[in-house]
Amino acid sequence: MSTPTESGTADREVARSANTFVGDVWVNFKRWNLKAVRNPFVLVVSLAQPFIFLVLFTEVFGNVAGGAVSQGLPGIDYTTFLVPAIAIQVALASAVTSGIGLVNDIENGMFEKVLVSPMNRTAVFVGKTLAEVFRIALQIAIILGLGVLLGAEITTGVIGAVGIMAVGILFSFWFIAFSNMLAVLTRDQESTIIGANLLQFPLLFLSSAFLPLEVLPNWIQLFARINPVTYGVDAARAIMLDEDVMTVLEVTAFDGALNTIVPAVAVLAGLGLVFGAGAVYLLSRASSSDVR
Amino acid sequence: MSNEQSVADAETPREDSRDSSASRAGSAEHTSIDISDLELTYGDGTEAVSGVDLTVGDGEFFGFLGPNGAGKTTVIKVLATLLSPTAGEVRVNGFDVRTEPRKIRESIGYMAQETSIDPELTAEENIRFACEAYGVPRGERDERTAELLDLVDLEAVADKRSEEFSGGMKKRLDAATVLVHRPPLVFLDEPTTGLDPTARNRLWEYFQRINEQGTTIFLTTQYLEEADTLCERLAVILGGEIVADGSPADLKRQVGGDVLDIELGDGPEARARATTIAREFDDFSNATVEETEAGISVTAQAARQSGTDLLVALRDAGLTVTGFNVRAPTLDDVFLAITGERVDTDDGAAATEESI
Repeated sequence: MSTPTESGTADREVARSANTFVGDVWVNFKRWNLKAVRNPFVLVVSLAQPFIFLVLFTEVFGNVAGGAVSQGLPGIDYTTFLVPAIAIQVALASAVTSGIGLVNDIENGMFEKVLVSPMNRTAVFVGKTLAEVFRIALQIAIILGLGVLLGAEITTGVIGAVGIMAVGILFSFWFIAFSNMLAVLTRDQESTIIGANLLQFPLLFLSSAFLPLEVLPNWIQLFARINPVTYGVDAARAIMLDEDVMTVLEVTAFDGALNTIVPAVAVLAGLGLVFGAGAVYLLSRASSSDVR
Repeated sequence: MSNEQSVADAETPREDSRDSSASRAGSAEHTSIDISDLELTYGDGTEAVSGVDLTVGDGEFFGFLGPNGAGKTTVIKVLATLLSPTAGEVRVNGFDVRTEPRKIRESIGYMAQETSIDPELTAEENIRFACEAYGVPRGERDERTAELLDLVDLEAVADKRSEEFSGGMKKRLDAATVLVHRPPLVFLDEPTTGLDPTARNRLWEYFQRINEQGTTIFLTTQYLEEADTLCERLAVILGGEIVADGSPADLKRQVGGDVLDIELGDGPEARARATTIAREFDDFSNATVEETEAGISVTAQAARQSGTDLLVALRDAGLTVTGFNVRAPTLDDVFLAITGERVDTDDGAAATEESI
C-alpha cells in the first residue's frame, strides 16, 4: 500500500531518517558503553569478586591446591592454573549484567521508547550485546594482567592472552542469552539478579575451575561434564598452558592443546546458538506488537 | 538559539508541504489519523477496544478523554505501532499500522504514560540518543539538542544525570526526546498525571507551543480541565467505545444548560428531600438533579433564570440553604451526562490503567 501519494503524505514534514543497520548498532553500542562507564558499580563488582577470588584462593589454598594441581600438571603453579578460571568467572559475572540492563530498560520505559523508534530491532540488541562483550574482553584483559603480576605465566604469550579473551567472549554468549531470557520472563530486576547469581557459584565450583577434576568427588566429576564452565575453563587453560588439559572429553584427533580447544569451542558455540535462539525468540516476542 | 528561531525553523517545512500537497490528489492529505472499526481484544479475551472510528486532522490539538481502563492507552498504543489491531483499518500519517509500522515510527513522537528516560544518562545525552535513534542528520544534532533543551528549560541541568531530576523535569525531558525529529504528529499519553500544578501548567505551555508550530497533537487525559484548556476537539471513550465527539463547547452544550450547585445545611435526609423538590420543580423541564457531598447539583436550561425560585421553594420546604452558585457546565459535567459517573481523577488511580 505504498503508492506515491501515500508515502508523499508523510514525507512532507519529516526528513526520512538516515538510519542504517550498522548505524543503529553503533548508537546502541555507544549508549550501553556510556551506561557502563556511568555505573562504576557494575564494572567494579563484576571485577572485584573474581579478583578477590584470585588473590584469596592463591594465598589461602595455593600451597594445598598446588599439590593437587601438580599431580596432573607437573610444574604448574596454582596461580597459573587459576587465572584462566578467573577469566571465565569474569565472563560469567559480567554476562549477568546483560539481563539486568534489559530489565532496567523495561522498567524505566527505555525498552518501549526504543521500540517506537525507527531503529532496527535486531541492531538494537546486537549493539547492546556488543557493548557487553567489549566490556568482558576488557575485564578479562585486566584479570590476565593482574594474574601475570601475581606470578602467573601465559605460555602462549600475547596471542594466548587474546585467545583467552576470545574464549571468554564465546563462553559468555550462553549466559548473556540466559540472563536476557530471565529478564524477559521475570521482568523483575531482583529475580533476574537472584536467578543468575544463584547459578554462578554452583557452576563455578562444580567444574574444573578451582581444582583438577581428578581430585574431586565422583558426582562433581559427573556434573562437570555437562557444565559449560568446564568447557570454558578448559579451553582457556589449554591456551594458557599450551597443553591438552581436558578430562571430560577425550579427543586426540588434533595436536596438543588443540585437543582441548577445538572440542571445547565447539561445545561453547553450540550452547551459544541454542541459548541465543531461545533469547532471540523471547526478545522478539517481547518486542512484537502482537496482542497477548 | 531563541524560541522564535525554532518556531520559524519548524514552520518552514510546513509551508513546503502545502506546496507539495497541492500537486497531490486524495482526501488523506489533511488527515493525520484515520481509524475505522478498530477492535482490539487481548489474549485473555478482554475487549479493550470495540468498533472505534476516529479521524484527526492535520495540525489539530485533539483530546482523547476517558476514565481509567476505558481503552485510551490501548488506542494510543495501536497508533504508535506498539499493538497490532485485532480488526479494523488504522492509518497514521497516511501509513498502514500493519504493513508500514517503521514509516509510522519515523513520523511520530510518542510520549508514554510512564516517564521514559535513561536515568544514567544526562539530559543532553538522553536527547542526543533520541537524535541518533531517529536518524537526525549528524550536522543538525548539536543545534537540535540545544534547541530542545531550551524549549523545555533544561539547559541549566543539561550535564546533570536525569536520575536526580524532579518528576516534572523528567517529564519535560521525556517530552523533548520525542520531538527530536520534528514529527508532524505527537502522541501524549496522560502527560501530566502525577505532576504538581506548576509543572503541569508549564508542560501545557510547551504542548501549546509545538502545536502552534504546526504539530498535530493527540493527547489522552483523564483531567477534564486539561482537555478543556488545550484541545480544539475531543472524543470521549468509555468501555472501549467512543461515546461523544466534538469541541469542548459542543460537548458542554450536550449537558443541557447551566449548572446550579446548592449547598444545604442539614444531613443526607435534607439532600434527598431537596432532590425530590428540584426534580418536581415546574420551571425546569428535563433537569438533571444529582446529590453532591455538600448538597445538590441541578443542571437545566433555565438554571440561571429560575434558580432563585428553586431556592425559595427549598426554603419554604424548611430546608437551610447555606450556599449556591450558578455556573456554565464543565467537562466534568459533560462526563457525568455522558457516562453517568463522575470521573475519578485521583493520582493514585491513574497508574492502574492497563499497560502493555
